[in-house]
Amino acid sequence: MAGSNEVNLNESKSVVPLNTWVLISNFKLAYNLLRRADGTFNRELAEFLDRKVPANTIPVDGVFSFDHVDRNTGLFSRVYQPAPENVTTCGIIELEKPLSTTEIVPVIIFFHGGSFSHSSANSAIYDTFCRRLVTMCKAVVVSVNYRRSPEHRYPCAYEDGWNALNWVKSRTWLQSGKDSKVYVYMAGDSSGGNIAHHVAVRAAEEDVEVLGNILLHPLFGGEKRTESEKKLDGKYFVKLQDRDWYWRAFLPEGEDRDHHACNPLGPKGKSLKGLKFPKSLVCVAGLDLLQDWQLEYAEGLKNYDHDVKLLYLKEATIGFYFLPNNDHFYCLMNEINAFVHPPNC
Amino acid sequence: MEIEIDSVSSPSKVKEIDGLLADVGYKVKSSELHQVAQNIERLENVIVNSSSSDISQFASDTIHYDPSDIGNWVDNLLSEFDHTNSLPYDFSQLSDLAQDQHQHHHHHHQNHQLKVVTTVEEDSAIKLIHMLMTCADSLQRGNIQLAGSLIEGMQGLLTNMNTNSGIGKVAGYFIDALNRRIFGQNNIIHIENDVLYHHYYEACPYLKFAHFTANQAILEAFNGHDCVHVIDFNLMHGLQWPALIQALALRPGGPPFLRLTGIGPPSHDDRDNLREIGLRLAELARSVNVRFAFRGVAAWRLEDVKPWMLQVSSKEAVAVNSIMQLHRLLGSEPDPNNPSAIETVLGWIRSLNPKIMTVVEQEANHNEDGFMDRFTEALHYYSTVFDSLEACPVEPDKAMAEIYLQREICNVVCCEGPARVERHEPLIKWRERLGKTGFRPLHLGSNAFKQASMLLTLFSAEGYCVEENQGSLTLGWHSRPLIAASAWQAVPETLRFDH
Repeated sequence: MAGSNEVNLNESKSVVPLNTWVLISNFKLAYNLLRRADGTFNRELAEFLDRKVPANTIPVDGVFSFDHVDRNTGLFSRVYQPAPENVTTCGIIELEKPLSTTEIVPVIIFFHGGSFSHSSANSAIYDTFCRRLVTMCKAVVVSVNYRRSPEHRYPCAYEDGWNALNWVKSRTWLQSGKDSKVYVYMAGDSSGGNIAHHVAVRAAEEDVEVLGNILLHPLFGGEKRTESEKKLDGKYFVKLQDRDWYWRAFLPEGEDRDHHACNPLGPKGKSLKGLKFPKSLVCVAGLDLLQDWQLEYAEGLKNYDHDVKLLYLKEATIGFYFLPNNDHFYCLMNEINAFVHPPNC
Repeated sequence: MEIEIDSVSSPSKVKEIDGLLADVGYKVKSSELHQVAQNIERLENVIVNSSSSDISQFASDTIHYDPSDIGNWVDNLLSEFDHTNSLPYDFSQLSDLAQDQHQHHHHHHQNHQLKVVTTVEEDSAIKLIHMLMTCADSLQRGNIQLAGSLIEGMQGLLTNMNTNSGIGKVAGYFIDALNRRIFGQNNIIHIENDVLYHHYYEACPYLKFAHFTANQAILEAFNGHDCVHVIDFNLMHGLQWPALIQALALRPGGPPFLRLTGIGPPSHDDRDNLREIGLRLAELARSVNVRFAFRGVAAWRLEDVKPWMLQVSSKEAVAVNSIMQLHRLLGSEPDPNNPSAIETVLGWIRSLNPKIMTVVEQEANHNEDGFMDRFTEALHYYSTVFDSLEACPVEPDKAMAEIYLQREICNVVCCEGPARVERHEPLIKWRERLGKTGFRPLHLGSNAFKQASMLLTLFSAEGYCVEENQGSLTLGWHSRPLIAASAWQAVPETLRFDH
């Protein structure tokens, strides 16, 4: 056995609970089997291995869900809502009444992670996470099943995100508050965070209001190798060369990692100065090799005078939020809750 | 962490499945986490020391099973990679976890209660649904007058709606069914069921998926056997069997002697439909050099079939094939003195000691006693099925397929007691029932999944999707599974835990 590999595996085992280690390592293992050196992806095996769950309008722990299929695109989004007190279990959701006419109910559009290639809105890990988001942050969540790479490269995921944003904003049944509007936030982990950023930029440019962005260890990168990438490569579930594969699969052929999709505030990025960009909550895991890029991103937003709250979780690894068995999870949920329920609303 | 005590069979046996992992779709016993972690590390090392192309090839060539069981999945990969000890798939571990499943039912993923909705936004559709629900509700309460007037109201609404697709179309069928329930049959469409079946077979992939997946499993189960016997619980036109005959013909080492026993309703007039199908299949078998024998068993109901009619010999490997038939047995009157129809039939299936029993069923809960529950479940289920049919470009396949489905809808909505045969139950219930009556699952693997996925590419509509569900495969429309295929084997008597 290669000595350095053994050390690496032991390190990650000491910082997360055992069931978390098994979960994330299992994903890592599966993902290794799916990526091919020639840039193609074993999609059938990926779908076979992915644990999916159906939507369920019978409330489970106070949350119910249903899928909406966009007939034009054939893509679905899964809507999660707190079960109303007097739910009539006749089972048809009549989408005509607003969420509330008195209170404000935030609607979080969620983009799941998976480095643009893996997972779906109905993947069990994300279905469970979204349900928890509803309960702990008293919000409605719309999880978008965007198109994935390498079959669908940039800008497909961003387009799907943009369409989802407009769809959500135009639903009367997602409105709340006294002035009957949809109080929209966007959130995403890993590639989902990257998508949320880019959709937010477009929203700002086209004057579509988004109240806030929540980025959970978002996927950014660039050509240069940062200190954290060098230091943490292979140590906590993630290898740099794998990151590179996903960028090659997502970015247009021939582009490098300084493409603005990957490095939005980098040399080929666009200025966000003067743009009505939403406030951001950027959560960085201290054991994520991409943290330097995420910290640069947060700094970059600040330099453009945008509102950023940085949540730096020193001892967290990627995927800490999949299982609620650690402090980081609860810390994150509290922050999100406060973020989508600002005091003066 | 969940702790279930198996209080019935073994004394003080504690089984813990990690609850948090279960919430995200994985089954691992807490006590085995360390062992599983170790094996993951071993496999990681193997992968790290192999070339990337080797890994990709290996991943494609290996047959993966039930990824929710991480321990077994990793073990399987390790032994496959080793090559030195290519163990046959470990069934003993399998039945262990299958047992756990029965006890772990309050996790929402394993919860029997699942409701999937049709969402409606347009005002007219909302109104229509409202009235449909109220009508069904008043029927349940016995308020026939209100129900009747609502039906009139809905028929009026429909005249202003698009009834060629979407909710208008499906609602039309349900209004019609409610009408029949109250006022009885008026316009009966005189088309033979097997004709409708054939069009349904062509219009959408559900039956093809069922046949295809079952045949794969049967083929594998028949490996190494020279005398094989397939018992088909509903022969119809024998559409499933040409493919199996051809696959057996091409089997390395040559085809076995194949016997097919087809069960079906007695024919009217002087025809013998079963025999005619049998002759056609025999001709096909002859053309590909497969020794073949056919026997038809005519019976109106499956529960009227007795095992001796099937003339199973102990020398042959038996496959029992049930495509959407088992649910028809669930309507027998409960009788404390006699076993129910389903128990009887499952009992004699076990006595045949089949190598495999393939079961395909609608993934729906249409067997609730409460009328409202059944009605709303059916509305959602068939809305989705009709949605998927909309993409079918071929007529009259599509129109006939709709009539085929309409008959199912009518049975679910209008009938009660033994007349109600469309008593669909979801996979989770079948697993429980089959587990209790002495069957254990044979897992369908990634090869079956892959082939089913490829089958779907032949259908133009892009919403169909195959999913893996703990050893079974489901075919659905977008994110809603509609049909589930599973395979089973009888547990030897000595290993059975009686509940």
